[in-house]
Amino acid sequence: MARIKAEFDDLLIPANLAELRAELSRWRTPLSLPQVQRLIAHAKILCKEPIALRIGIVHTYTSNLLDPWLDMSAALQGIEVQTYHAPYGTIMQETGPSSGLVAHQPDITLLMLRREDIHPALANSVVGLDREAQTRLRAEALAQLRNFVQRFRAQKVGQLVLTLLPALVERALGQYDAQAELSEAAWWAAFKSDLGHWLRESVASSLFLDLDEVLLQVGRHAFFDRRYWYAAQFPFAPEAAREIARRVTSIGVVLKTPRAKVLVLDADNTLWGGIVGEDGIDGIALGPDYPGVAYRDLQRRILDFQQRGLILALCSKNNSADVDQILQDHPHQILRARHFAARRVNWLPKADNLAALAQELKLGLDSFLFLDDSDHECAAVRHALPQVEVIQTPARPLDVPTCLDQVARLEVLTLTAEDLAKTEMYAQERHRRELCESVGMDNGGVGDYLERLGMKMQVHLNPETHFSRLSQLSQKTNQFNLTTRRYDEQQMKAFIAAGDWLVADFSLADVFGDSGVVGLALLRLRAPREAELDTFLMSCRVIGRHAEAAFLHALLRQLDTQGVVTVVADFIPTAKNALATLFLSDQGFELCADGRYRRDLSANPPKPEAQFPIAVGRGVGPVSTAAVTEKLPQANISNP
Amino acid sequence: MSTLFKLQELIAVTLKVPVAKITSTLRDEDLAAWDSLAQVNLMMALEQTFDIYIEVEEFAGLTSVPAILEFLNARDIG
Repeated sequence: MARIKAEFDDLLIPANLAELRAELSRWRTPLSLPQVQRLIAHAKILCKEPIALRIGIVHTYTSNLLDPWLDMSAALQGIEVQTYHAPYGTIMQETGPSSGLVAHQPDITLLMLRREDIHPALANSVVGLDREAQTRLRAEALAQLRNFVQRFRAQKVGQLVLTLLPALVERALGQYDAQAELSEAAWWAAFKSDLGHWLRESVASSLFLDLDEVLLQVGRHAFFDRRYWYAAQFPFAPEAAREIARRVTSIGVVLKTPRAKVLVLDADNTLWGGIVGEDGIDGIALGPDYPGVAYRDLQRRILDFQQRGLILALCSKNNSADVDQILQDHPHQILRARHFAARRVNWLPKADNLAALAQELKLGLDSFLFLDDSDHECAAVRHALPQVEVIQTPARPLDVPTCLDQVARLEVLTLTAEDLAKTEMYAQERHRRELCESVGMDNGGVGDYLERLGMKMQVHLNPETHFSRLSQLSQKTNQFNLTTRRYDEQQMKAFIAAGDWLVADFSLADVFGDSGVVGLALLRLRAPREAELDTFLMSCRVIGRHAEAAFLHALLRQLDTQGVVTVVADFIPTAKNALATLFLSDQGFELCADGRYRRDLSANPPKPEAQFPIAVGRGVGPVSTAAVTEKLPQANISNP
Repeated sequence: MSTLFKLQELIAVTLKVPVAKITSTLRDEDLAAWDSLAQVNLMMALEQTFDIYIEVEEFAGLTSVPAILEFLNARDIG
């Protein structure tokens, strides 16, 4: 008892939240509520400017008892949470425009439903039903759930997080269920698959938080406490409450902080045990036996994060030949050279290397996560680059494989085709760079380089698909973005439906590969002859290839054919979009006395496609498909 | 630290009220924050702090400082 208490006091030693979170993720004893309150108080001292997060909870069982756990997991993330609990059991009332939930203006709406709330038959096991009845039940239950979700989605209630309380008891058929013809487990797996498919394809900003997964993680005995369930309709034992709160909070972190895009890895004592410069390739710990197996497992885990759309980079103080040898020749090394989008293996300060990596990858440092075992390196990077999230590799190899599992920003709420192909795209970018270097930048070499890329642009006007990518571009593009107005899928669909907007995007391909959808423009047709460029942005992935100008002029030509004479545009400066400052004036827009930019299309017609080194094709939309024309290289390249 | 003092502090922290409000004779009806949900929280806090297991049948009886003290004393806790 005394020993445990002393250890708890050790939890209050860390001087920053990242260390406190890491300590706590390794904490094995259940926390008591008074301990929770002390942790909250300590975490609040460590965070001077907490981020506000508003959560609304709509529930058919007691949710208030989650509060201390939500407060704690939020405080650990530097978040101050304000939670609204809807009156007990009022689902439909909360979907109205004047509900308490809507008034709370939540960032996250958490739906905590029991199985029987989506279909009364689900109060019992489904094994008693024949196949036809099971199929019908699945459709009916899904329809009811869709109805709930759509009603909430129609209001401004933030990110929807949907949960279903797992069964309190083991499966009806016990162990035999796994091979039963009408297995309960199989029914639920099919139901969740249908639900996931529907949410993915049809509902923006919605996530199914699978409590079955939490149950697997903590175990049924640590998930439910029947005493609280019978006494207060609160099902969760402390361990489950803590884990559910942690997961909900991590969604808040993803919503409220810059998206994590790059995971930068140290090498010695992170990817393997030991120091390659001292221990040699044969002396480091990496392989099938402990402790080497722990590092191998971390490498496997890192590949999982790559699947979430994260790109990997390496930053190590070493002789680069030593590290290269391991990447190439070590039989148990999992991460090879091809897995890294960029590398810095040298003796420079790590903060300098991180800044150089950001420049090379054309990504902001606030999208960087950095994993390193050294106290000194972690502290130095935290000090020099506070916008980089620093995670320390645990000293004990046993803790190493899971050290990234509870990093909230590594969660993803959407996954697009572009995310999955990211590393491939950065590899293509490396080939482009190499071509660019081989062609040379002088004597018109840039034009030659762009010409040799053989670029093809596909412009979509009022697209009917890939809205999740467009929303992602709107939400996440900071650098080449004229106005930084953020829109979600619903809003963009509404613009198209309204008729007086033109939503346009483009994708770009060249001889090295396809960059996917990388640009977005939203135009509002103000008057019969006037259009306003509400949004114009491009992913920095394709900067330096004249795509932004080719896209703009393709749009201007489109407006010209629709009879538009004046195009009005704005540049709204932010801390990050200096890159786009001169774009409008470079493209023939005049800065007027009211601070807005205008271009008169009759006096100053748009440039023809032939002026750009990019062949433009048109995707779906009201405009005829046509126009792949000859290409003319241009003279200069802007390289940020 | 006396059991009474430890208990007062525990109730104050769990119900988020100043410890001065937790008198040695306090009953749930004297304190607005001590509602039925707070009662369940309090039961959890007691279990975790004193390393005991409270049966669901006992929840309803443990709604005052004297009752909880007596419960703890009967188990030689303090």
